[in-house]
Amino acid sequence: MDQTQRTAEYKEYSPRESRLSEERYLLFLEDITAVFDGFKALDVQALGIEHNELRVIIGPNGAGKTTLCDVVSGKTRPTTGYVFFDGADITHLTEEEIALRGIGRKFQTPTVFDSLTTFENMELALPGQYRLWSNLFGSTTKVQEERILEILERVGLIDESHREAKYLSHGQRQWLAISTLILSNPKLLLVDEPAAGLTDAETALTAELLLELKDDHTLIVIEHDMDFVRQLDSFVTVLNEGIIMAEGMMREVQQDGEVIEAYLGR
Amino acid sequence: MQRVTLFYLIALLFTSFSLSLALPSSAQSSDEFIRAEVRNLADESRSIRKAAVMALAKTGDMRVEAILESFKLGELYLWSDVVVLCKETFEDDDYNEFCRLVDVLTGEPMLDAGGKRYEIPIEELEEISVSRAERKLANNAKFLVRLSSPDNEIRMSGAKKCGDPPGIIESVPQLEQMSAHDSVKKIRYIAKESLLLIRLNQTSLEKDAEPHLAIVSELGNMKSMRGLPRLQETYHELSAGLALPEATEEEATNTYKFAIDQINGYQSFVGGIGNIFRGLSLGSVLILMALGLAITFGLMGVINMAHGELMMIGAYATFEMQRVFGHTPDNPSDLYYVAALPVAFLTAAFVGYLIEISVVRHLYRRPLESLLATWGIGLILIQVVRIRYGDNIGVNAPTWARGGLEVMQDLIVPYSRCFIIVLCGLCVLLIYYLMNHTKLGLRMRATMQNRNMANSVGVNTQRVDRYTFAFGSGIAGVAGYAWTLIGGVTPDMGQTNFIIDSFLVVVTGGVGELIGVICAGLGIGVLTKVIEPMTIGPFVVGAIWAKILLLLIIVGFIQFKPAGLFSPKGRLSDV
Amino acid sequence: MFKDGAAKQLTDFLQAVGVQKQSTVTNHGISFLVPWVLFFIGLVVIPVLYYAGLITVGTVNMLGRYMAFAIVAVGLDLIWGYTGILSLCQAFFFSLGGYAMGMYLAHHGGPEGIIDANGWKIPACLYVVYPYKVGEAPADALVPWFWKPFYTLPVTTILGLLVPGLAALAIGFVGFRSRVRGVYFAILTQAITVAGWLVFCMNNMKLCGTNGLTRFDRIAGFQLTNPNVKVSLYVITLLALAGVYLLCQHVVKSRVGRILIAIRDDEPTLRFSGYKPYIYKLFAFCLAGMIAGLGGMLYAPQMGIFTPTNMEASASILVVVWVAVGGRGALSGAILGALTVNLLYNFFTSEKNLLILTWKAEYWQFVLGSLFIGVVLLFPGGLIDLWRRLAGIIRQRAII
Repeated sequence: MDQTQRTAEYKEYSPRESRLSEERYLLFLEDITAVFDGFKALDVQALGIEHNELRVIIGPNGAGKTTLCDVVSGKTRPTTGYVFFDGADITHLTEEEIALRGIGRKFQTPTVFDSLTTFENMELALPGQYRLWSNLFGSTTKVQEERILEILERVGLIDESHREAKYLSHGQRQWLAISTLILSNPKLLLVDEPAAGLTDAETALTAELLLELKDDHTLIVIEHDMDFVRQLDSFVTVLNEGIIMAEGMMREVQQDGEVIEAYLGR
Repeated sequence: MQRVTLFYLIALLFTSFSLSLALPSSAQSSDEFIRAEVRNLADESRSIRKAAVMALAKTGDMRVEAILESFKLGELYLWSDVVVLCKETFEDDDYNEFCRLVDVLTGEPMLDAGGKRYEIPIEELEEISVSRAERKLANNAKFLVRLSSPDNEIRMSGAKKCGDPPGIIESVPQLEQMSAHDSVKKIRYIAKESLLLIRLNQTSLEKDAEPHLAIVSELGNMKSMRGLPRLQETYHELSAGLALPEATEEEATNTYKFAIDQINGYQSFVGGIGNIFRGLSLGSVLILMALGLAITFGLMGVINMAHGELMMIGAYATFEMQRVFGHTPDNPSDLYYVAALPVAFLTAAFVGYLIEISVVRHLYRRPLESLLATWGIGLILIQVVRIRYGDNIGVNAPTWARGGLEVMQDLIVPYSRCFIIVLCGLCVLLIYYLMNHTKLGLRMRATMQNRNMANSVGVNTQRVDRYTFAFGSGIAGVAGYAWTLIGGVTPDMGQTNFIIDSFLVVVTGGVGELIGVICAGLGIGVLTKVIEPMTIGPFVVGAIWAKILLLLIIVGFIQFKPAGLFSPKGRLSDV
Repeated sequence: MFKDGAAKQLTDFLQAVGVQKQSTVTNHGISFLVPWVLFFIGLVVIPVLYYAGLITVGTVNMLGRYMAFAIVAVGLDLIWGYTGILSLCQAFFFSLGGYAMGMYLAHHGGPEGIIDANGWKIPACLYVVYPYKVGEAPADALVPWFWKPFYTLPVTTILGLLVPGLAALAIGFVGFRSRVRGVYFAILTQAITVAGWLVFCMNNMKLCGTNGLTRFDRIAGFQLTNPNVKVSLYVITLLALAGVYLLCQHVVKSRVGRILIAIRDDEPTLRFSGYKPYIYKLFAFCLAGMIAGLGGMLYAPQMGIFTPTNMEASASILVVVWVAVGGRGALSGAILGALTVNLLYNFFTSEKNLLILTWKAEYWQFVLGSLFIGVVLLFPGGLIDLWRRLAGIIRQRAII
């Protein structure tokens, strides 16, 4: 299927036009552009992510992948266009409001709180504890603690649970960032380069984890590492210079002449 | 040092030479005339005496002023057919009163052939009796002298004096002549204004309503500031109820009101422009301060709280130069101010350099820590200067920076403020050139954008930092140098007056662009000076509330533009 | 080493009785003992020394004032040390509290029986040189409305906490809402402090201008000159300090404390986790403001005068240096720092004859300036950290 056809199909499901959109798509972007000082970093006519989908976004450097994440999570305001999530317009909400609606994010460089221990980092990611009062007097329950330890066990950080995060290695920080994201249990996970700086074995485990999450979550994964993308074996969106160039399964996209050209240069 | 002294001597010679040139050459030849007319002051005939006073007044020689004053006070005496001046008497042991004679014209002691002072028994002097009318005439004539002076300043002050209440009627013909033919426009204006004021006094509203009101409208048209209190006074009397025919009263009230409004409107217009100008010069100083702050913050992520003290050092360097050159209010050696510019810049830059290599270089990208450490440096610098110089010093503006240019009627632009604005403009151009057209500038911008990258392509970032920091400090020194022209100098001037204001400029302007700092600096400077004299009901806002209002405005502003006027966008904005 | 063993036992004991949960956040070893040692010295040793006649009541009074400063420092540590927000308006909050208490004290000082046209007692300092005799006051010498709430001690106490708290709320709201951060916030708060100082210095504000509030005679009916009252005020200040310490300790040990640290480390990320950082910043800032107000309220009666100099920009930065010297990010460090710097001040502002030069009080500025630089460059962890490092060295030696 040609990309213009695909765009036309998306457009039919525009939440502003169609009531069916909500049932089919969890996240829907329409006519999104982001302009910095005259430079158009992003220009997406339409893009929909279905419920419980694992979507991989690839593209060469500067293609606008991270900007796309920024727009969805509220870090960057789009110059024009709308972002719909779970049937509501979230274009103009703040980062924390978007997060509360159920979009979680892992940044390209793993962001953890350096002065807190691994366990404390996890504690902060526990969902539903954002009120001042409960945080002033409440404490972590036994069930929550077990859940935290379970995840840490899984990613092999259990021995590090009482070390401050600044002493963790790069790989461990990646894991911790992913772990907090999993623990916070959002509807949609934006995962920016989860495999960067990981060994092959770790990469495989990451792929396994993400695929597991797919059962009851929706994921957008941004990745450079083509081996990793193949392991995920999912629907792929190719971005180039801010524009969606092609979409399809990895093996289809790989055959696309334009995509090859974009990656290899002209 | 020797060269400096030589310079100074040449300057002194030059000034005294030009001073002697300025004396009117015709004065010598008219001495005889003056002496003859002075003799006439002692004449029997009242009319000759009166004519003599008037004739003296016409000479325009400033020495006549003193003669007339002595005449008025009865200090002139006739002695062997010569009019002499006797100010002091003394008694010998036998209680005989003697008088030391003084020449009327030169004011110097009169000497006999042997070079001895004349000391004459008081009985030998013939008193010149002066009637009340003559006293008054002489007093008025003193101002008439000024009207004929070749010196513009003196002529102007004379013209002004003649019109001030109660008004010197004798001056009318001369004022008429001056208002039409004087070579200086300003003097023509003042002469006319004085003329109108004198006439206003002479034509009463009750009897000659029409010519009186014509004068009032004319004063209104001239936007006469000096006429304003007189007009207001009569206007209040009018509204209090003056015995006038009803038609006249209404017309008079309207004419007066219109004239007063005209003058007031013009004055507030001129005052507004004056305030804006004051604001521009304050803004210029703030820009000079903020530029250094913005550059160092942008380049090294360092907040320099001692920046105000570097400004103070610039001001004290100027003071030190003034001392070295021996400048006092009376000693017009303006060279010190020329020499002080590079000295202020270099001293502040040197201190800045020392601060950089000793403290600041350890604190890159740690703005809060650098804030604390540099505040400590500021405390030490303040105390050093306080111990060395005491709490209050005065820098005298060089003579060319005193006074101002009257660009419009009643709108005087002080030279000192012009100078500051020009200086600021030049510094901004210099910085712009340095940043955009030199290798140092290129390296600086490279370091500012990506330190590691710049380092790896061979930029010696450490050296770039040092020079930049020293340069920013030097500019602060220049700000202090400029400030000495318009404000007081104290050791803690930077901490109490400037550091916060210049930071607010940086906050408002944003650290990204030079233009942001310039706009914010001028904006804050002008707003301060415009808000200060505003009135809310019966209260004048004043300096303190103006400051607070301005702060509120800035706080409100950053609600909408948290990163300042001109801020980098996109990925850079996170840095 | 014996000492360390004892400390360990004590640690275990205190943990067992629940006084102190082991901190996993800022592990300063046995440094948490510092406040309790200080508390013991303050509550037992100092009064014993005083009643034994070894120190004067003046010294006790001075220590009481320094404790009031320490209270302010604990508040600042909460907002700066833990949350990473450098507030340069703690002196402003301190002064708001101080002025509240000062107005109460001025109401109950000076000559008796001077009342204005409405029958309200005129505080003696309100009209600089009081020109009227008892019982006669002109109609225009009125006590302004904002003085009147500060007539009774309970209302004063509540307002002394509430006013700085509300001021902090307002400043924090405009600052945090527009995401003014780091240095920008510091500069903003300093500008606000300067503005406040200028207003309090104005004579026509009816706040006694630069002369400040004077003529304090009685508090709750007790004479302030009485040594026993002075010692009582000292003890009250000490207890207040302990209370503030425990309160802040609770906050930083709760999950809120972790969120505050997370704000310090990486505020944007916290936002993506769904927290609203500005709520927490506002909470910490208001709490710090109220604590500073409490310090001011305790300081005023012990000082006997309250002037706008307490509000100068430099006073706020001084609070920062107390915390920095003590060691930021540790509440006990704030206390230690405030006491140390003030005792140093007390020591260095008296004239001394040294071997080659006469030490003058004005040289204190050099010491203070060096403290600023030194604590940033050489001892970023402050005294607490130094203590921990020393203890580490000693422990190593002991093992060898």
